[in-house]
Amino acid sequence: MLEFFFKKERQLESLIYSYLENLGMIQKHFVKAMNICLKEGVSDDFCFLMDQTHRFESRADDLRDEINELMYSRALIPESREDVMALLERVDEIPRSFEHVLNIILTEKIALPDFLVLDVQELIRISIESCDLMAKQIDVMIKKREGIRALMSTIDQNESHCDHIERRIIVKLFESDLEPFLKMQLKELVIVLGEISDQVDRVSKRVNIMAMKRRV
Amino acid sequence: MLSLLGGIFLGWSLGANDAGNAFGSAVASKMLRFWTAAILAAAFVILGAIMEGRAGIDTLQGLTTLTLKKATVASVAAALTVTAMTLLGLPVSTSQAAVGAILGIGFLNRQVDLNGLSKVVVCWIGTPVGGLVIAIMVYMLLSAAINRMRIDLFRTDILLRIFLIAAGSYAAYALGANNVANVTAVFVGAGHISALTATLIGGLSIALGILTFSRSVMETVGRKLVRLDPFSALVVVLAEAITVHFFTFVGVPVSTSQAVIGAVLGVGIIKGAKTVSRRTLSSILIGWILTPAAACIIAIVLYVVIHLKYFSEF
Repeated sequence: MLEFFFKKERQLESLIYSYLENLGMIQKHFVKAMNICLKEGVSDDFCFLMDQTHRFESRADDLRDEINELMYSRALIPESREDVMALLERVDEIPRSFEHVLNIILTEKIALPDFLVLDVQELIRISIESCDLMAKQIDVMIKKREGIRALMSTIDQNESHCDHIERRIIVKLFESDLEPFLKMQLKELVIVLGEISDQVDRVSKRVNIMAMKRRV
Repeated sequence: MLSLLGGIFLGWSLGANDAGNAFGSAVASKMLRFWTAAILAAAFVILGAIMEGRAGIDTLQGLTTLTLKKATVASVAAALTVTAMTLLGLPVSTSQAAVGAILGIGFLNRQVDLNGLSKVVVCWIGTPVGGLVIAIMVYMLLSAAINRMRIDLFRTDILLRIFLIAAGSYAAYALGANNVANVTAVFVGAGHISALTATLIGGLSIALGILTFSRSVMETVGRKLVRLDPFSALVVVLAEAITVHFFTFVGVPVSTSQAVIGAVLGVGIIKGAKTVSRRTLSSILIGWILTPAAACIIAIVLYVVIHLKYFSEF
């Protein structure tokens, strides 16, 4: 009965889950592209995966526009509407960062030196783990289940861990014999990579606030 | 019929001013379109007036004996008081204005039912206090129920919206049932119309006020309530409706705005936040004293004026 009267809300719920699923696809293609880059540098496979990442990132923008349009047509109560819009705006920065990293690699033709590969792999692994936890946290918040704070705390720990790795990479980088220009290029790449876990952390804190606001 | 115009005007201004307490939060937060809210409010006000408006009419007509002329003076005096105080930006309650005007005529008659009056005054004080207590109870009950249900974000939103519309409709019903006496009780007391006709005319005039002039008040009052979170706004509307409905059973017309202030204060107590300013609280005190006093004086002055030589044909 309720479903009939409030189909906009149901539609919105399905769009938000599609958005999260799409975010998962962006992550998947980003990881694959980075693995290829770490193994063989910029190649055709890398370019293909970068295109795929871009395709899913565009799809994320479309989904977000669709969600916003639906909310402007009075789906949800105004407070939730505002919260969901602000949340998606924050989440949307993450796929943009994925694309940005790949763009830097492609346009600047960056090849990561061997002594950084393991650290960069770890940085990517933990960042992606945080993204997965964030998607889970959003699901928990929507379903009003327990565990939001625990997820926030893990994401926060991951963020600190990523900061340590980022610093470690930069120190290694500047202790190396690489060309100063290359050092600057790689530093920029590492900072953008490190930014992913910061963005996830900000989203996670926002989700926690949304959940607290809804506690009556 | 002309003599009823004062009452109809009073009903119209009551509808324009008080519908905001029922549907303000839903309209201001854009959960409900104004016209949907106005039509729902008008329908439920008429329903409430016809179904349960009788008790208040009995109480008000019992305060003093009225002729048609005196009833018309009382009704015009109440309407003038409400209009003047609204224009001056002073807090005003239609119920208190109506009672004040009836008392003015009663003083001229030297016949006031003090028992009836004390019942009315106790209910006036009881309105914000009742709003406060009921809001605390409703908040605790509803929050316990919602927390136990563990429903998702989207379904909670759907439920909140449905509850807010239902609570608004109930508040409109309570407004009609409780406040219709302010509009036409004096004419029943004067034997001019039957109680059923009085509830019908009263309900229709309040509904007319809602449909023609309540939009801006609904949005202004609503914006104040929307500053609360949606759940608290729902509690406030529901507590106001229950309080006003309770006083309908007692048979005393009360101020819906004062019930709302009490309820907002109750929510503040539960949440440990200051939700009502001292100024708002003092407006209740001023309302208790100033509104009936002003209406009483205006009724006396009007009555004296129409008995001057040149108006004695009235």
